[in-house]
Amino acid sequence: MHIDWWTLGLQAVNVLILVWLLGRFLFRPVADIIAARQAEVDVRLADAAKAAADAGADRRRAADELAKAAATRADALSAAAADAAMEKSALLAEAQADGERLRAEARADVERARREEAQSADDRAAMLAVDIAERLLTRLPEAARTIGFDDDLAAQIAALPAPTLAAVRADGAQFLLRTPRALSDAALGAVRDKLSAAIGAPAQVSVEVDPGVIAGFELTAPHVVVRNNLKADLERISAELTRHGHV
Amino acid sequence: MMASPLQSQPLFHIGPAPITEPVVVAWGVMAFLVVGAVLAARRLSITPSKGQAALEILVSAIDTQLRETMQVDPAPYRALIGSIFLFVLVANWSYLIPGVEPPTARLETDAALALIVLAATIVHGVRTRGFLGYLATFAEPSWIMIPLNLIEQLTRTFSMIVRLFGNVMSGVFILGIVLMLAGLIVPIPLMALHLLTGAVQAYIFAVLATVFIGAAVGRRRPSSHEASNP
Repeated sequence: MHIDWWTLGLQAVNVLILVWLLGRFLFRPVADIIAARQAEVDVRLADAAKAAADAGADRRRAADELAKAAATRADALSAAAADAAMEKSALLAEAQADGERLRAEARADVERARREEAQSADDRAAMLAVDIAERLLTRLPEAARTIGFDDDLAAQIAALPAPTLAAVRADGAQFLLRTPRALSDAALGAVRDKLSAAIGAPAQVSVEVDPGVIAGFELTAPHVVVRNNLKADLERISAELTRHGHV
Repeated sequence: MMASPLQSQPLFHIGPAPITEPVVVAWGVMAFLVVGAVLAARRLSITPSKGQAALEILVSAIDTQLRETMQVDPAPYRALIGSIFLFVLVANWSYLIPGVEPPTARLETDAALALIVLAATIVHGVRTRGFLGYLATFAEPSWIMIPLNLIEQLTRTFSMIVRLFGNVMSGVFILGIVLMLAGLIVPIPLMALHLLTGAVQAYIFAVLATVFIGAAVGRRRPSSHEASNP
């Protein structure tokens, strides 16, 4: 066996040179590009992880905001419901108060109308009663319309206050006597005498027939009027009957 | 046709050095690999083309093999093991070119490769363990093993030479005989088989080199890759 040492050495050198060349132009650049890609991938993975983490944080933040918004909405709804309930209660109370007031006013109006109607009916009844009494009294006999009234007339004159009587006397004791019928001279003289006695001075009496007096007399002087007749009585009764609050 | 596989006739001389055919073919293989590497590496980018992807697969496969076998960062050994693999592979397949004899079918080329592996084993062993530390590996597991370990260093190198030389030379030799007997169609299956044999031998040579260097480097140490990816 023959070994060509020159060939062996040259091949060794060739292989070493090849190792250096391929390491320089093939393996190192390819390994570098693989490492660069790996680094790029690592960076992008890190970015993706960061983006995912950010997205998760954003999602959690959004969920928190949504929860806050929901809570705020619930609070607002509760507050609005409470306000509405309060407003409703106030409106109901006000409406009830208005209703009560209106009902009270209506009741008062009804009561007032009822009282007015009753008063009106009472007035009409009183007037009707007076009118009936007046018509019935007009049926009295002529003689009965003056008998007995002169004493009461004199008594009423005598009961007048002293200054009034003095003023009457000072004026000459002149009277106008209204009667429902013409008096006879005797009856007129009796009346004059009783009046004179009542005032303490001679009375001057002039007579005026007035059927409206019905029965009795009405004596008129400058300072006094004395009514002692059924017409005046009926008027007092009518006034008394139609006086509101005393029916 | 081959002459004696144990003898090489010089084609020309450069000074005192006789340039034989294996050397010339080795230059051709080197030129092919280097030019191809320069052309391929010139267009590398983050987004790989199909050719770049194939290169990256090759480099990644070498790295994976180194990492799994040596349990260390493959970077310091990638160029040596990868270059030996590519050189042996292309040299084994160079017989497909008519009239070209694979340089690995010559003892000197295989011896050169094996001696480089032996030197690399020693260099990396000393660099990793220190000179005394590396020498101490010869006394493992006992000092009695020193002679045997020294002999093992030589015999496994010799086995690498003989294995590669025998497989490639015999394949080429048989193919030459078949070509002489039946020059058409019949050699094709044998040529395909020799393609497979050449690839397997390149792989075995690279793996053995890896194993020997890995044994010299020692037990597993944390690599930069593993340190960054625990």
